[in-house]
Amino acid sequence: MDISFLIGQALTNGLIVGLLYLLMAIGFTLVFGVMRIANFAHGEFYMLGAFIAFVGVVQLGLPYIVAVLAAFVLTLLLGWLLEAAILKPFRGDELNGLIATLGLGMIIQNLALMAFGPDPQSMPPTAEGVVAVGDIVMPLSRLYVVVFSAVVLLLLYGFLMHTRGGRALRAVVQDMEIAAAQGIRSHVVYPMGFALGVALAAIAGALMAPVFSVSPFIGAAPLFKAFIVVVLGGLGSIGGAVLASLLLGIAESLGSTFFDGSTADMLIFALVILVLVVRPTGLMGRAER
Amino acid sequence: MNRDTSLAQAAPRGGPRAAGSRAAGLRWPALAVVAAIAALPLGFDSPFYIHLAVLVCLNVFIVSGLALVTRSGQLSLCHAAFVGIGAYVSVLAEMRLGWPFLAACALGTASAALVAFLLGSAILRLRGVYFVLITFAFGELFRLSLLESAPLTGGANGIANVPAVNLLGMALDTRKSFYCLAALLALAALGFLVALFRTPRGHALDAVGEHPELAEASGLSVRRSQLFAFTLGSAMAGLGGVLLSHYVGYISPESFSAQVSIAAIIMLVVGGRLAVAGPLIGALIMTPLPELFRGAVQSQNIFYGVTLILILRFLPQGIASLRILRRLAEGDNR
Repeated sequence: MDISFLIGQALTNGLIVGLLYLLMAIGFTLVFGVMRIANFAHGEFYMLGAFIAFVGVVQLGLPYIVAVLAAFVLTLLLGWLLEAAILKPFRGDELNGLIATLGLGMIIQNLALMAFGPDPQSMPPTAEGVVAVGDIVMPLSRLYVVVFSAVVLLLLYGFLMHTRGGRALRAVVQDMEIAAAQGIRSHVVYPMGFALGVALAAIAGALMAPVFSVSPFIGAAPLFKAFIVVVLGGLGSIGGAVLASLLLGIAESLGSTFFDGSTADMLIFALVILVLVVRPTGLMGRAER
Repeated sequence: MNRDTSLAQAAPRGGPRAAGSRAAGLRWPALAVVAAIAALPLGFDSPFYIHLAVLVCLNVFIVSGLALVTRSGQLSLCHAAFVGIGAYVSVLAEMRLGWPFLAACALGTASAALVAFLLGSAILRLRGVYFVLITFAFGELFRLSLLESAPLTGGANGIANVPAVNLLGMALDTRKSFYCLAALLALAALGFLVALFRTPRGHALDAVGEHPELAEASGLSVRRSQLFAFTLGSAMAGLGGVLLSHYVGYISPESFSAQVSIAAIIMLVVGGRLAVAGPLIGALIMTPLPELFRGAVQSQNIFYGVTLILILRFLPQGIASLRILRRLAEGDNR
């Protein structure tokens, strides 16, 4: 087969996967930026988003887009509640906060296991057919993923850059104390940052639910990728997350075209270690603290 | 690493360090009492209780290794991977290459130490959170590579019929004989940690874990101390893995997953992070728990999660920091 075709196809697939990783990683990095907590329960919110979309479409017969919105709104509320009820004492406490999210993740995953059982379930695809540009073929359902993710990311950009709430969030990410001195209310910003971060993970889950199957265990893989992305891009840096997730998506996609799956994973891990040895703060991270 | 908050909570009881070092100072008489209690299971008739006692001892040993890493200020999320390295390397050396047990055991432990040393050299310059994320990723990758290299490791089926521990021609193939070995090792680990944290090396580890900037400013190398703790702690995990695999007789990638690393962290946090007795208390409480939840893995895990969060919230230095236990550990010498 033609090599340029293979590479073109791999780049296209890489872009799709990269956008998905980006949704996960931006949420993760947002939570870390605001609360200084590496949220190990992040993958479980991806799983919840997928299940909300699944229940909405398959059991309640809602239109897909409504189900995705429901996933966003419900996890936003849940995230707000969990932050205020459970994580509040751990704000800014890197080590204990991280261990607490390990516990939170266990609780959410096992509740989902009780509610839905361990077996993977599948959801009807959002669209039939394929789109072809030249030789490169993309299933229409995956094109949906690209369009949705791009819209969500643009909305997020607008929110962070041009609204009061977004500015408050960014101020807190940069320096909590100075932000508080300027009158930014931490009791709103902390839960908002956490809720928004996990709701982004839920959107990623809802978008991928029709593409992959849905089960209580699906959160682990995207969480793993989000870690790689934030480590590579620099924790707390949104620009770094954009660059790293697209790089990772494309590298993985190229890697699995030419090597088998786990070899590609190992090469990427080695690459990440190498980047960290050369640049300990990640590609675009700030040297800090 | 940020321990400031937890230390601040301990502060009212007399200076930041007092709570930690007092809880840490498991005295020798207390150790003798522990030894006496450790001899108790030899009187049990029920094989099941002896089995539980063996698992408690192995957990004490493995979690003590994790405690060493944690006290130097880093949290390793791939502790189970090092247990797995010890297990797989020793089992393969014995079953494929026909090595005697002791040599295979040494190779397994050394492999875990070597991998930890190499990984630690690369990533211990990073801030705490990066270390946690990378160790998590490494643990997952280790499990995946076990699954993928099926011709060598048996893939998801694992390796069955691992021979029992054989020390110089004496096979420890009964539960009681193996218990003697496991209990001795668990006691040795506790004694070793008590001794270590009385040496300058141990003080350096504590200093680095508590306030890395201050330690660095006083001339201690944070990176070297943490690398020492990570290598030694992971080697302990490796040795624990060698024993565990030869006791259970079966290994598979799922026995060394992230869940197992998290279970070790839960034992440590529940028992107490800064106390030598912490792993002992954690293992004693958490090891028999699955029996209470027999067949209800999900409610068991939910219980674990809730316990973890409650302990972090209300007793961040674990059960070992309860005043009554600290008194007991110190004996009557004050």
